[in-house]
Amino acid sequence: MKIQNLDDLDKVRNRGLNKIFTGKPKISVGLATCGIASGADKTYDALKNYIKDNELDVYLTKTGCIGFCRQEPIMNISLPDRPILIFAKVSEQDVNSILEKVLNERISDEKLLCKIEQWDHITSKTTYGCEFENLPSYSDIPFFKHQKKVVMRNCGLINPEDIEEYIAIGGYYPLYRAIKNMTPEEIIETVKKSWLRGRGGAGFPTGVKWEIAAKMRSQTKYIICNADEGDPGAYMNRNEMESDPHMLIEGMLIGAYAIGAQEGVIYVRTEYPMAIQRLDIAIKQAKEYGMLGDSIFGTDFNFKITVAKGAGAFVCGEETALISSVEGQAGRPRPRPPFPAEKGLWGMPTVINNVETWCNIPAIITHGGEWFAQIGREKNTGTKVFSLVGKIKNVGLIEVPLGTSLSKIVYEIGEGGIDGKKIKALQIGGPSGGCVPKKLFNTAVDYEKIRETGSIMGSGGIVVMDEDSCMIDTAKFFINFTSEESCGKCAPCREGLSRLYELIEKITDGKATEKDILLIEELGETIQKTSLCGLGQTAPNPVLTTFKYFRDELDAHIKEKRCPAKICKGLITYKVLTDKCKGCTLCVQFCPTGAITGTKGQPYEINSEICIRCGSCIDVCKFDAISVA
Amino acid sequence: MKDGVVIKINEKEFKATEYQTVLTVAKNEGIDIPTFCYFEGIDPYGACRLCMVKVIKGPYRPGITTSCTLKVKEGLEVLTDTEEIRKYRKILLQLYLVMASDSELVKNLAFKYGVTSSPFSKKFDIKDSLGNKCILCGMCVRVCDALGVGAINYIGRGVYTKINTPYLEPSQDCLGCGACAKICPTGAIKFEDITKKRIMTSWIKTEIPFKECSLCGKDFVTEPLFNFVSKKMQIEVDEELKNLCSDCKRKLFSRKAIISTSL
Repeated sequence: MKIQNLDDLDKVRNRGLNKIFTGKPKISVGLATCGIASGADKTYDALKNYIKDNELDVYLTKTGCIGFCRQEPIMNISLPDRPILIFAKVSEQDVNSILEKVLNERISDEKLLCKIEQWDHITSKTTYGCEFENLPSYSDIPFFKHQKKVVMRNCGLINPEDIEEYIAIGGYYPLYRAIKNMTPEEIIETVKKSWLRGRGGAGFPTGVKWEIAAKMRSQTKYIICNADEGDPGAYMNRNEMESDPHMLIEGMLIGAYAIGAQEGVIYVRTEYPMAIQRLDIAIKQAKEYGMLGDSIFGTDFNFKITVAKGAGAFVCGEETALISSVEGQAGRPRPRPPFPAEKGLWGMPTVINNVETWCNIPAIITHGGEWFAQIGREKNTGTKVFSLVGKIKNVGLIEVPLGTSLSKIVYEIGEGGIDGKKIKALQIGGPSGGCVPKKLFNTAVDYEKIRETGSIMGSGGIVVMDEDSCMIDTAKFFINFTSEESCGKCAPCREGLSRLYELIEKITDGKATEKDILLIEELGETIQKTSLCGLGQTAPNPVLTTFKYFRDELDAHIKEKRCPAKICKGLITYKVLTDKCKGCTLCVQFCPTGAITGTKGQPYEINSEICIRCGSCIDVCKFDAISVA
Repeated sequence: MKDGVVIKINEKEFKATEYQTVLTVAKNEGIDIPTFCYFEGIDPYGACRLCMVKVIKGPYRPGITTSCTLKVKEGLEVLTDTEEIRKYRKILLQLYLVMASDSELVKNLAFKYGVTSSPFSKKFDIKDSLGNKCILCGMCVRVCDALGVGAINYIGRGVYTKINTPYLEPSQDCLGCGACAKICPTGAIKFEDITKKRIMTSWIKTEIPFKECSLCGKDFVTEPLFNFVSKKMQIEVDEELKNLCSDCKRKLFSRKAIISTSL
């Protein structure tokens, strides 16, 4: 059916509510890519079989990811009028025992993470039920406690493949309001008031960008959603699309109406098959219900969305390269100005925003620009989703108000290092970002404050490093990444990054001198200042910030020819501890280069010339008889 | 005609028109700005980055940018030769010196700006079909595109980028017109004319047949180029003249003229 008016929308909402409050036990499993990677699909199948075998009257469904990756697979169970119970690390073997207990209201499972009694979906507030006083609440869990969910408002709670559930929690009502009761100018004014800034990393005010495009006199205008997320370790956008694709579509629709665009493109990388699949389903459903297509809600507003698949080139996240790619050309950036808002896709005014930016729009329309502006701090409003990964206890997707300090993210939400290891630094902003040392962890996540450290906000990747990480090696990793991903168009990025990599390799090989450091700094600055696009302009950041903040580690590599974290292969040697070695020959069998020799029963020896420092011997030795120095 | 504007280059005022770029104004006024990838007649590309200038005032964001892509606007003020620019230019030229180690153009330009050696190093590629001279300015690709042929393009990305034919196979589309070789600033692109055919040495030895003059038998144009132009021109050419080389055409013309006047 095509929704024409509020009555139609309410009817669909009621149908959706019947799927959320089913009147019988409801089980949903977090089936986003991260969950499936941890075995959630097997858990889901086990549930299905258990329900079938025992002929239970249970509503089984799928949901997206709530963000707590360390605890995957995650399963939600809600009994009628009772809170949602969230169970963690539910393997297929756990299904029987959990269900047996829970369905009989005996809830005392060690797999239980917390309960959710009420939830603010932003587009509506929902009470699931109050009960089980002794169980921990969502807000008691350190990982969740300091978060504020605006973008991830529905992630892990609704079925991403069902538009009716999205409408049930108030979705598409903001669109209805925008189209029926607001003028394009009013919408742009609301977005400007909200002070929402581009979540792709650069932080350009979204309302201003929209205004430029809206003022362009052109029959044809486009909007693009940049979902070419490619930072190593970052997967915020993937989850947003997999867990709640309709919020993205709704955001784009509102934007299209505001600037006067008739067509939208979602540019997703092919490496995100599930996001593409769920977007396809969502687009199909939105068409069926009349939210996409001609005369939306019975008005003369027409809009369609196509999904363009990128081939996975990192540079295609740069807006002009992205446009080239959509047009069927190689993904190579063009000089700006003209900016896409003036001359973009097919030469027409085009607004490009990141997934997360679009996802904020329905929330802003629901409560107004002022409401959004009071989250976070002045000029850094709203929330930001980060993927917190690396050597940290609580790995996962987190959403915090802008202005939250890095230490809160690392020590309170992330609960510090793994196995008590000391955290040394974090890398924010992906390959365009930089390393922030522990001493600067009181820095707030705020576009300007992060920039002051020499890093950038970026799209939201935070990689945590502990005492076992070598900062020089980390910098080398990122330069290798950007060098490989450089499109090859302009000389400083193409040639410069490649030379930069070689110079850093010289450090990790223990062959660099002070002179090389000065050269690296000069070369890095040249690449920053003279490259054509954002990739090159920011690529030296990881190296330059490492040099700035980890001078001691750098000096150890250069002057003492020593890698403090014992990572750089050119600076370490493997030795057999003769007092511990029993001569069992296990390491000899696993050494890929035949570097270990000796007589059985006697301590063995490692030939440093042949040894490639792969660490196989350490892994297999049962007597801790191999040391690295 | 667009409006005239006044811009300042190195603190001196110049009159310009809005469609111009800072680079074209500077070139006309004899202000020295080095370039590798700029060529009048094809769209600016902004890849060599050597033509950078510093915007200090005007409607653009202040800072370093390329003058080939910088459209003039009223009140724009730029500097072409600051200490900062000299520093970056030195590094860029040092990068070019190792990238196209055999290019005289690069060596000469570097020398002009006082760069005679490079602290960087790169392995010499003995298999490089462009003789370690290519600077990836993309002029050949762009001129081939502008002709509407597109026989060559970039292959790979990043530091592995090369220019050649698709799949490194002899081109089916190349007209053998030689525009790529003609425009190449470093002389990296080579072709060779032998009897009956032109061999595009740099493009996987693509062989292009020549067309013979129907009178003297001399090779005078490549067959595909002849067909391409004939199709594009869409005008009737005298059948008698069509298949003649330029020498024979001239001779035939003059003979006809002499005959007509002597009558």
